[in-house]
Amino acid sequence: MLKVENLSKVYPNGTQALKNVSFEVKDGEFLAVIGLSGSGKSTLLRCINRLIEPTSGKIYWDGQDITAIPISEMRKIRRQIGMIFQQFNLVKRSSVLTNVLSGRLGYVNTFSSSLHLFAAADRAKALASLEQVGLANKAQVRADSLSGGQQQRVGIARALMQDPKLILADEPVASLDPVLAHSILKYLEQLNKDRGIMVLCSLHFLDLVHRYATSAIALKDGELVFQGLPKQIDDSQFKAIYGQEAERVSVV
Amino acid sequence: MTISEKTLKPLTNSTPSVWFSLIIPGLGQFLQKRRERGLLIFLITLTLALLIQWSLTNQGVGKVNLGTITTSWLWLPLILFWIWNVLDARAFAASKTFTILPGILFAAIVIYVIAWQVTGIKLDRLVERFNDARTVATNLLNPDVITISVQGQDQICAWKCMYSYISDKLAGRPTEGVIRLSENFLNILGRMKLMPASTWRVNLGLAESGSKVNTFVAGTMIETIAMGLMATLFSTVLAIPVSFLAARNIMSRFSGGTAIYYGMRGILNVVRAIDTIVWGLIVIVWVGLGSFAGVIALTIHSVAALGKLFSEEIEHIDPGPVEALTATGANLIQTIRYAVIPQIVPSFLAYSLLRWDINMRSATVIGFVAGGGIGFFVVETTRMGGYQQYATALWAVAIVIILVDYISARWREAILSDQPQREESKKSTALNNLRLAFYVILGLAVFIYCWNITEISIRSLLHPGKNFGQLILDFVSIDLTPKVVQVVIQQMLVTIFQAMLATTLGALIALPFSFLAAKNLMGRNQFSIWLYYLARGVLNILRSIEALLYVVIFVFWVGIGPFAGMLALAVTSFALIGKLFSEAIENIDDGPIEAVTATGATPLQVIAYAVLPQIVPPFVSYLIYQWDINVRMATIIGFAGGGGIGLTLTTFFGSLQYHKAGTVVAVIVIIVALMDFASAKLRQALI
Repeated sequence: MLKVENLSKVYPNGTQALKNVSFEVKDGEFLAVIGLSGSGKSTLLRCINRLIEPTSGKIYWDGQDITAIPISEMRKIRRQIGMIFQQFNLVKRSSVLTNVLSGRLGYVNTFSSSLHLFAAADRAKALASLEQVGLANKAQVRADSLSGGQQQRVGIARALMQDPKLILADEPVASLDPVLAHSILKYLEQLNKDRGIMVLCSLHFLDLVHRYATSAIALKDGELVFQGLPKQIDDSQFKAIYGQEAERVSVV
Repeated sequence: MTISEKTLKPLTNSTPSVWFSLIIPGLGQFLQKRRERGLLIFLITLTLALLIQWSLTNQGVGKVNLGTITTSWLWLPLILFWIWNVLDARAFAASKTFTILPGILFAAIVIYVIAWQVTGIKLDRLVERFNDARTVATNLLNPDVITISVQGQDQICAWKCMYSYISDKLAGRPTEGVIRLSENFLNILGRMKLMPASTWRVNLGLAESGSKVNTFVAGTMIETIAMGLMATLFSTVLAIPVSFLAARNIMSRFSGGTAIYYGMRGILNVVRAIDTIVWGLIVIVWVGLGSFAGVIALTIHSVAALGKLFSEEIEHIDPGPVEALTATGANLIQTIRYAVIPQIVPSFLAYSLLRWDINMRSATVIGFVAGGGIGFFVVETTRMGGYQQYATALWAVAIVIILVDYISARWREAILSDQPQREESKKSTALNNLRLAFYVILGLAVFIYCWNITEISIRSLLHPGKNFGQLILDFVSIDLTPKVVQVVIQQMLVTIFQAMLATTLGALIALPFSFLAAKNLMGRNQFSIWLYYLARGVLNILRSIEALLYVVIFVFWVGIGPFAGMLALAVTSFALIGKLFSEAIENIDDGPIEAVTATGATPLQVIAYAVLPQIVPPFVSYLIYQWDINVRMATIIGFAGGGGIGLTLTTFFGSLQYHKAGTVVAVIVIIVALMDFASAKLRQALI
């Protein structure tokens, strides 16, 4: 279970990205995080694995307050939290397999991994992960020779290497065509349903939220303005989140 | 009167700003929100006044007697400059712009007249001693490569002799004598010689211990190549850790890391500002004369240059993968290994190759101070007046450097294009492994060979010469007595003027020449394409030889001093500016030309409105860049008789006055850093 309490983040330049955000996510949920660009979605996701240090507030992961632990301990927690990015964040010049294997780095020792030595079990696991996202035949090619949708699937395979209990997905489909968006979200949905991995996913399109999420929160200017079921987001809610000017658009 | 006209005029009455500028030049402009212009005008006026006074008292530049007063006529253009500044201020007050050309002209008159005088330019010498120059030119065109034995007498067999020898041979006539490669050529390239068997031969059972075997003894050119290779390898390896310490995005992750970052950047800038040759002077005190000293000097400068380039590359990586790996729970070392290193490998390799090119060029001249290599060979032969031997060295340098330049550029291109391999084009792994093994063995063999001939000795590295401690001590407590500082600053001024005149002269010749070397202009017919190849060839050959190697020619022609150094710098400036200009011409965008032609403009109008606007900014930018380079080069040109601060430096070093040499080095560092900064700012403003 993930519990966020009064989370706030003020950047050194004075921007208040999060203001007293509190919510709870039960095990097995697929939580959509919605809001305009700059509303604090990315900051929120990055505070959960402490890529960004929150200014105040607490985050409980399985009952443990992970904002209080030292960063060396946090690395062990990060192993349980996979992350998927809008720009995929693959090392473009490395092979697909190396990119996937790098998801295992938190588990292996520094010395042998520096020499690119991975256990046979880890290699098998990497190939299995690639198999799962339908890219087993691309293991040896360079990451930048893949298309955007394929690169994002490599990103998912990398997250799978961590045996995650939670996946943070920061606008995973914002750089992709609508058709590919569904394919990526279906993988996440599958992981959520079959393996019970909790998913926190920031999304732009409301119909994607309706289609995939089991619950949703909305941020506006760093504040939590909605928490509930996706279908509860009606027109008045929508205007409250996105502003009076907003029009609903749908994706294929 | 409309509002917009009002706002255009900050001061409706022009009188105050005119008065301000009359009293203090630039003040009127400054007060009218033209801060930079005003400040620049003030600084220029101040500098010019100081220069006029300094050159008058020291060298009597522009001395005129007006009755009882002795003064410089250069005050006149300065007064004109002052008047221009007043008119400029008045124009601004009336919201008009005034042409800057008179200002530039008057300032240029003062500067060039002073530069001309203090650099000791005597054009008459060029004519007077033209016969000497012709002798050198003849020698240069007839290098000592082949020797002919006529009745037991050895003579140099140059082109004419070769021609008659070959035609005799072809016609079946008896030849005049027997030809072979000359001793001089073998000194440069290398020769087989009976030498005591080396340890590895004995250990491999190929030779008896203590016996003599035929061994290849490397010539000075091979030694030079080895120096360049070793320095590049060492500096690349050393620059990698240094660059991480000088990369802000890495260091800001530690507490106190930012302090290390600033310290490292500072050290790199200082080390880089001291030329390789000056490092050579310092290193010989440490390890003594020889190629090893050369390798160390090249390495030191190269580490600083590469360290800066590498660290900038690290700072510009894509932060996405770093974030992704941090999120998986990887630690810092793992993140660097998997997210940073794969991103920086191609650019690091490319920079190393670029540095290899630069190091090879420096290796050809490091021998002037450090001993070893072709530079030392040139010093020795020219001291004995062996200009035909010197000519062979120049040709050897030209060939090697042109090759290195070409290879380095091709490899860099291949690395930076960096395309992912197509799956089907992947070669079988067995063949790949075999190739890899071959390259590794070849690389190791070359490494060991170079290690041997550059006489690398860890022992002498660990046991500095007895004067080295004194040198360090003196460099910390440099001599700042006014007399020394005055001499050093004077010589530095001479050096800066040398660089300026060389840039001007080089550019004047390069300007028309660069049109001949532009393919888009010359590639239109059979005849002009050959002209293009010829022009490019001349530029490439001249550019491949360092200014220090040219000085000898001009010392012979016009005598030792700043004039000779200036001419040598002008040759390299001409070659580099010619190349850059011609490339700028080749890069002209045809679009505007087409558009202006389509309006019905005449060819002259097309040039004025579509061509010139495209080439003038890059031209000016290259000129500033070249001046910056020339100041660096001018600081060392004195080592070969080219005058300026280099001469002062060698004199102080030679007489073991290290505390005074330290002053020179400090002044060089400051001036070079200032020039670097100013030239970067100026070029930024132009583009």
